[in-house]
Amino acid sequence: MISNSNEIGKFGQISLVWLSIIFGVVWVVCWLVGIALPALLQSSYCEGLGSSAQMISEICKAVVPAVALLVFIPINAMFMVLFERRGLALFTMRRGPCRVGPDGFLQTAADAVKLLFKEDITPRGADIAMFTLAPIIFFAPSVFGGLPLLAAVTNNHELFQITNLPTGIFYILAASSIPTIGIVMGGWASNNKYSLVGGLRSAAQAISYELPLVLSLVTVCVLAQSLDVVKIANQQQGGILNWNILGGGALSGVDKFIAAGIMGHQGDAGTILAQYYPDGVWSILATIVLVASCIMLCGIYLTGACAEINRIPFDLPEAESELVSGYNTEYSGIKFAIFFLAEFTNLFIVSSIAVVMFFGAGDNPIPTWVLNFFWPAFSSAVVTFFTTTAGLSAITSFVQSMHIINPETFFAALWVIAKVYTWVFIAILVRGTLPRFRIDQLMDFGWKRLVPLTLLLFILVVFAREAVVCHG
Amino acid sequence: MTAELQAVQIKTDGLKTDKMIINMGPQHPSTHGVLRIILTLDGEMVEHAECVVGHLHRGQEWQGQNRTWFQYQALIDRVDYLSGMFTSWAMARSCEILDDVVVPERAEWLRVITSEMNRITSHLLWLGTYLIDLGAMFGFPFYPFRDREKLFDLLEEVAGQRMMFNYIRMGGVQRAPKDDWYKRLEAFTNEFPDRIDEYESIVTENPIFLKRTKGVGLITKAQAKDYGLTGPPLRASGVNFDLRTAKPYSIYDKLKFKVHWLDQDAGDTWDRYILRVREMRESNEIIKQCLEMMPKTGEILGKKQIAGLRVKAGEGFGAVESPRGVLGCYIVSNGSDKAVRFRWRNPSFSNLSILPEMLMGHPLSDIMAMFGSLDIIIPDVDR
Repeated sequence: MISNSNEIGKFGQISLVWLSIIFGVVWVVCWLVGIALPALLQSSYCEGLGSSAQMISEICKAVVPAVALLVFIPINAMFMVLFERRGLALFTMRRGPCRVGPDGFLQTAADAVKLLFKEDITPRGADIAMFTLAPIIFFAPSVFGGLPLLAAVTNNHELFQITNLPTGIFYILAASSIPTIGIVMGGWASNNKYSLVGGLRSAAQAISYELPLVLSLVTVCVLAQSLDVVKIANQQQGGILNWNILGGGALSGVDKFIAAGIMGHQGDAGTILAQYYPDGVWSILATIVLVASCIMLCGIYLTGACAEINRIPFDLPEAESELVSGYNTEYSGIKFAIFFLAEFTNLFIVSSIAVVMFFGAGDNPIPTWVLNFFWPAFSSAVVTFFTTTAGLSAITSFVQSMHIINPETFFAALWVIAKVYTWVFIAILVRGTLPRFRIDQLMDFGWKRLVPLTLLLFILVVFAREAVVCHG
Repeated sequence: MTAELQAVQIKTDGLKTDKMIINMGPQHPSTHGVLRIILTLDGEMVEHAECVVGHLHRGQEWQGQNRTWFQYQALIDRVDYLSGMFTSWAMARSCEILDDVVVPERAEWLRVITSEMNRITSHLLWLGTYLIDLGAMFGFPFYPFRDREKLFDLLEEVAGQRMMFNYIRMGGVQRAPKDDWYKRLEAFTNEFPDRIDEYESIVTENPIFLKRTKGVGLITKAQAKDYGLTGPPLRASGVNFDLRTAKPYSIYDKLKFKVHWLDQDAGDTWDRYILRVREMRESNEIIKQCLEMMPKTGEILGKKQIAGLRVKAGEGFGAVESPRGVLGCYIVSNGSDKAVRFRWRNPSFSNLSILPEMLMGHPLSDIMAMFGSLDIIIPDVDR
């Protein structure tokens, strides 16, 4: 077998560098617009502005989430296209883009520039208004639909609290239904029979897989007793046993039991078990049912999500070997770039929803009772190192006074990025392995298998919840 | 139409619907060359299909009649570019039959070895592109190409060219390989069955692949015989006909190998897929046997290859079993240095003729599955 370790090393290197760039740039922008600018306006340098300084700084703070997202999306797309191409190359013993920039670094930038320079063709007979609007309608919901997630992934930082809705997940799901209209419009307005077939297939597919997707998330909300994304994320704090994928809190009793056992409060252990699992055998049964159901629901969610964002094995609307790009066929230049950009942004958003709802956004997977063995000593040692060493202490106090790094948000965001991109990688792995479904088989699978399964799981979860104390 | 599809047909009595006439045009990623299929679609179902061939017509038969025998041998690899050896062999056979040329035994063994290598490369490419047609276009197809490259390296050493070999000539083969070539080929044959196992592990039991290919594109035994199918489509439909065993030529009667066919009334795309995979394994075994049994020394060319090569006057027909089916060459000669008539009997042309009937009543996606399973090369159809 040919060894690929060199390529794997390069792949990891590119990912780390780009992810640091993404993280760094977005963070710097948020800090500049949300903390530095208001601080500057309210400081002694800008006394001349008077009361309007207060208003402008409020506007700046309010605008931060939008700015963060708008800065994030192009950079993320730049990275993800390269990530996907190199990932697929890795799976197929090839090298992927490796010439543009150091080791293929700037490939997507080059592609974006190329697409910008292309002639913007509108086919004869096309409905010009709809033809132009289709990419916009396809892309816009990815931008505004992801806003409540920002609050969840940054551990409810004060700058992002404004985007949090009490019905967060409902809003996100509603926004994720809109791109389908864009695809159908693109298919129809292209005046091309192949595009039309692609657009119609996409409408059928999106509707078919909307139900299992929504139902799986609704079940999680039932377990969490809330539609608020931040609340759901906060409930999952404390290690992997608290995550929604492992029963939506069904195992948090186990988690606390082990913690009490380790910390020596043997007496409490019994009461904890009684408190979390009040019904004896029924509780054990219910816990098993909940854990199994939640794992299956996560799988159903990811399947439905793949179908919503038109990725293999559900990429019928743009099935290259059959329809030569489907609804994409007649688009060139910047319009195609927007479709392309939106596809990758959608992939990111859908992975973020999975991470926030199932994988405990921002939460360290190691349970607290394991961390307690070594983390406090380690972290206090690090803190003393940074605050007492001569040169570093000045920098540290400067950083603290300017609120450059908020430790909780920092680590939460790092974990979120790691988890989200793991799921993106798995989506790319699936893309490189499986063939695609036929349209009637796809709808058959969606309606006749996934929908009944999801409904069954929903009922099971609702009843099992009575015997176990879950998050909600 | 299968029962599954009939169940989803919406009742449209009293509803005005339109049928769409669409070109699966000459330029299409999946038609394996330039083939135009005019489809009349009712929604996604094909009501009527018509194949328009000829976009890739290059006048190969005219070329045969206007180039000398010696010149034409170099051109015919391009008739069916994936199995160039077989095309050369068909022409060489028909000329040898007409001209009473005795082919040296070592040349026959070399012909069989290189042709079976060519069969493996053709089937590997078919496997990769078939998965691309079905949608697995980013991962799987590159693995079969890995093994193709190894075979191409070996073939390049002995024939001078990776694909357009020009190796099998009238009366023998062009060049004898060096001694270590045999060792490297043997090393390849030893590791190749593991490779096929790898490919099968991804494809054969894959639920999505099974759904796309099981029960799709059924060809009954009667249909197969009526339309003149040959090769894997015929053998999948229950007819045990392989030219290598039915009318043995060269040294195939000395080899012990199995012709894979399925004893059933109708064959679907999955059957044709599994037959080709088994044929690859069988070709591997044939190469192993040849390497053991072949004479290490001897003549390789029975007729001197000169520019003024001539074939006796008369008519002759020679055929071989190519990866696509029976590939035959009918020649009429008048003793001069050019042929009077060159007529190719291409397996792809006959196999393609069943496509319009197969497509009726199936959705658009099935076209790719069915068309790919026939393993049609358009240059072979259009010549």
